[in-house]
Amino acid sequence: MAEIRVERLRKTFGPVVALDDVDFSFPESRVTCLLGPSGCGKTTLMRIVAGLERPTAGEVYFGERRVTGLPPRKREIGMVFQYPVVYKGIDVQRNIELPLLAEKLAPAERKRRVDEVIELLGLGPSAKLDVSRLDNGTRQKVAVAREVARQPRIILFDEPITNVDAAAKLQLKRAFKELTRRLNQTIVYVTHDQTEAMTLADQIALMRDGQIVQCDTPRVLYNRPADRFGGWFLGNPGMDFVDATLGAVAGGDLALASPIFPSPVPVSGVADGAPAALTVGVRPERIRIHPAPAPGAVPARVRRTSIQIGGQYLVGLEVDGLADQPLKAKVDPRVGASLAAGDQVWVECSLDSVSLFDPSGRRSPAELGTPAAAGRV
Amino acid sequence: MVATERPTLVSPARPAGAPALAFAGVTKEYAATTILSGVDLAVATGAFTVIYGPPASGKSVLMRLLMGLEDPSAGRITLRGQDVTALPAASRNIGYVPQSFALYPHLSVHDNIAYPLTLARVPDREGEPIVRHAAEMLRISDLLQKRPDQLSGGQKQRVAIARGLAKQTDIFVFDDPLAGLDFKLREQLVEDLRDLQQEWRAAFLYTTSDAIEALTLADQLAVLDGGRVIEHGPPARLYADPRHQRSMALVGFPPANFLPGRLERRGGALWCHTPLFTFPTDLPPDGGIGDAATVGFRPEAIIFDGPADDGPLDEGQRPSLRFAGRIALREDLGGEEIVYLEADGASVTGVTRHHDRRDEGDGQVAAAIRPEDLLLFLPDSGERIGGGLASEAAAPVAAASNGRSAG
Repeated sequence: MAEIRVERLRKTFGPVVALDDVDFSFPESRVTCLLGPSGCGKTTLMRIVAGLERPTAGEVYFGERRVTGLPPRKREIGMVFQYPVVYKGIDVQRNIELPLLAEKLAPAERKRRVDEVIELLGLGPSAKLDVSRLDNGTRQKVAVAREVARQPRIILFDEPITNVDAAAKLQLKRAFKELTRRLNQTIVYVTHDQTEAMTLADQIALMRDGQIVQCDTPRVLYNRPADRFGGWFLGNPGMDFVDATLGAVAGGDLALASPIFPSPVPVSGVADGAPAALTVGVRPERIRIHPAPAPGAVPARVRRTSIQIGGQYLVGLEVDGLADQPLKAKVDPRVGASLAAGDQVWVECSLDSVSLFDPSGRRSPAELGTPAAAGRV
Repeated sequence: MVATERPTLVSPARPAGAPALAFAGVTKEYAATTILSGVDLAVATGAFTVIYGPPASGKSVLMRLLMGLEDPSAGRITLRGQDVTALPAASRNIGYVPQSFALYPHLSVHDNIAYPLTLARVPDREGEPIVRHAAEMLRISDLLQKRPDQLSGGQKQRVAIARGLAKQTDIFVFDDPLAGLDFKLREQLVEDLRDLQQEWRAAFLYTTSDAIEALTLADQLAVLDGGRVIEHGPPARLYADPRHQRSMALVGFPPANFLPGRLERRGGALWCHTPLFTFPTDLPPDGGIGDAATVGFRPEAIIFDGPADDGPLDEGQRPSLRFAGRIALREDLGGEEIVYLEADGASVTGVTRHHDRRDEGDGQVAAAIRPEDLLLFLPDSGERIGGGLASEAAAPVAAASNGRSAG
């Protein structure tokens, strides 16, 4: 069993709470990314799992085995750090082979493993080169290859591609994908980069202020954030947030009124006594812009436009009645290119992609639409 | 955005329409190394101008010449219609956020921001509202009594920007002020700076090596490469209609694709062969251009066959140039996906708006592109010479509309 479990894990540095009673399981044979802004506790959590840091309180288990007090070398794990750790003065192949010499392996098996990771990481052309002659990106590949070849059940990655150039980043991402497709290790991968996490993870544990606020597959995390923080942190730019109010409409049903809806929208799943003030969260790419009035759309004025990723346009909008909450929409190049500051437009937010948050910022159990329409992912 | 009245600031009178500042033939050499070779650029009054270029393209040096911190080897710098090439830094009156800023560790945030005003002997009575306003714009009003060592990296950066803004002037220079900051912090600061410039209507001159930051901020974008401004204009024009291969390569993310092309006269037209496809060009068949060209196209010009939620393309709308490739990697940006494709003899990058479709693995994929989305450049000089011609098969489609909504 190589599931990693932490129980009521706490770490304080003087007055600073780095980890605030974290309970969490990293499932076996999966890639779990710890994602969050600097200071959220992700690196501290990884270092405690590695044994590089002692928790103030709480326990760490690998399967059924309690490892909380064990030093790193007794945990039988692999680690890849931000800066590549390699042995200079010897070649790539030897770098990968060295740690294997300490294990009781038949020479044929040792060679098989070295050859396998060299192929997996595309290190063939540099196999006989002294690592001193390699660039940082290739060295990092060597560091990854060495850890993988040892075949520990658990490998920890701490921002492994943060300090390599763009081309090497891409190669390392590809190699990592290939690696995790073919091998079976439990992987914890720490990063502050949402694209890296969304691209590489089976599941992402999003952290903030020493806690894991949500753990889900990348697309669920992106589409259905458990709180406003997730809506804001993921995406470029993050979610738009607009105030809304719950109220009864004719017939006694509940509906949500907001300046971005032309008329109140039916709501289901509202708990009794829930607060009437909610926040609508919607991804900028889920807002459509129409040049003329359209069903479901409200009037707005274009504040500015700019070209973004893939030629899309980011359109800053001022919706009537929302002067203090500028809205951002990310639209197709053709739509964006036709817009200019000051233009009158109509904006429509796609109702099936709306997230609702309560005043504390947590995701509300309420969903737009009638009960029959609710329950989609 | 915090909408407050800007405290009294001097706006020196000068002829309407005159640029706020201009570089003419500005060259800078250090011993045998030429950093800048003949920079020509006029920066409009009241506009947000971004000087964008790869790292080490000379952006910072150009800003230091403008500030008067170094002298150009040749050329002239004009400020508010006046030649200031020989004028000392202290007389140039520019708000400045240098690339590597240092806050004074013994001064409070308030006194750090007020420092340029103190230097200029602005009385407290006049200076105080300026400091308060700058702090409010940068959302650091609650930090004014703290000392720099109590601040996070992002907060320090905000203090440095506020200090650059606390100046009674109409020209502000920001030398890559957000480099090294978390991407989420940058997102907010970019928005704040844009609002600020729009409110103040001052000339903002800003350098960066980040393509999206440049495109987001700029009214006017100047591409600095190899020590000179290779292209200058509104970002949408540079993006859609670059006149130089380097500006197409630099402006935009993910970066544009380039393929080697071979020109061949066929019938009455000049055709271009690439490793992926062959297409008719708009070049004159007897142009005397030679037989080689570089073909450039944007990642979003690649259209992937497959289960996009718009449904399959009409046969008539299907771009005429087809190629197949193997997906090497899909990068999930949340709202979009970057697709790295290995096709026969070339690696290209595509991008799609995210449709939450299931990952079908990294298999074979069919892709297509429209000839009119292809640009042609001279391989040596990088100068743009033309583009692809909408092929006849695709031509009648323009009239057809099946209501596919854009956006």
